[in-house]
Amino acid sequence: MKFKPLLPAMLTCVLLTLPASAQTAAPPVGYVKTVTGEAWVTSAGQNMRAVPGTPVLLGSQLKTLAKSSLGVTFKDNTLMSFGPDTELTVDDYLYAPAQDQLKLGVRLSKGSLNYISGVIARLKPDAVRVATPTGIIGVRGTQFVVQVEDKP
Amino acid sequence: MKQAFSSPLAATAVVLSLLLAGCAAPPSPPARSSYVVLLPSPDGSVGQVVVQGQSGQQVLTKAQQGVALDGKTPPFEVKPEDLQRDFGAAMAARPPLPEQFLLYFETGGTKLTTESEALLPRIIERAKARTSLDMSVIGHTDTQGQSQANEALALQRASAMATQLRELGLMDAILSIESHGERNLLVATPDDSAEPRNRRVEITLR
Repeated sequence: MKFKPLLPAMLTCVLLTLPASAQTAAPPVGYVKTVTGEAWVTSAGQNMRAVPGTPVLLGSQLKTLAKSSLGVTFKDNTLMSFGPDTELTVDDYLYAPAQDQLKLGVRLSKGSLNYISGVIARLKPDAVRVATPTGIIGVRGTQFVVQVEDKP
Repeated sequence: MKQAFSSPLAATAVVLSLLLAGCAAPPSPPARSSYVVLLPSPDGSVGQVVVQGQSGQQVLTKAQQGVALDGKTPPFEVKPEDLQRDFGAAMAARPPLPEQFLLYFETGGTKLTTESEALLPRIIERAKARTSLDMSVIGHTDTQGQSQANEALALQRASAMATQLRELGLMDAILSIESHGERNLLVATPDDSAEPRNRRVEITLR
């Protein structure tokens, strides 16, 4: 991920001026469970080195470096783990089964992902989508692995 | 006559099937390609993967079947060594499977049934076996009484269980407490029905 140097600084300024409640309003949608090598979670413009227990929020970007891996468990028991040189963004996450609000949408821009269905896929299969640069994956209660290579 | 035909026929069939197998087996994925592979779920069942690509739609229905993400070409079988080469690291990083426990209550309050009380040490043991634990505690009631009162009762049940789990040794766990009141029945009943199986707290260890 290449940042234009000014943008993150500007975002940080904006965030710092927000009231504390706005920053902490969104509860985590999952937590990092496994890490090898070096991995990062970027949430609301803040980079956090991933360790077991690091929260993943709606909108978080997950990134692994070379010879590294990362595993995340979401609130609905969906499991996602990543091999080296991987980037994934959590675009949609809604988990309120009692209100029938269910949605899981992630974007894998490069690297490898091992996905295991959780409650969202079981209750509402159409609510799960994994987007990649060349195609969109939908699931019917299962496990899959997917790889995205920038050099086809 | 039958005897005389059978052997050349059989030989032809073998040759044909070999040829067909040679033609029909699509190539395994080349290294560094973009593709998805269907695997069995941890419980052994096999679901489906649908790929909507730039060049078409493909459906995977069998374990170890793979398909390119552009949806252009039909599925192929993925060899174990290719699976390991491309996905070994991601598969090795898989978090432990979540575990769920149900605790049941005597009617109207936060007192556990004797059987459920006896389950608590097991939950603590399983929770402590995890290197990084987050836990959700969701309270439920049956449909007896007012729904608003049940919303509050389910929250009391969940809170009581959370407190008890902390006291029993899970002080530092990340823990979320929720109430589903009578909105999420385990066993469907009409309104105002006493149903022991609906008076419960669901504990998930992740």
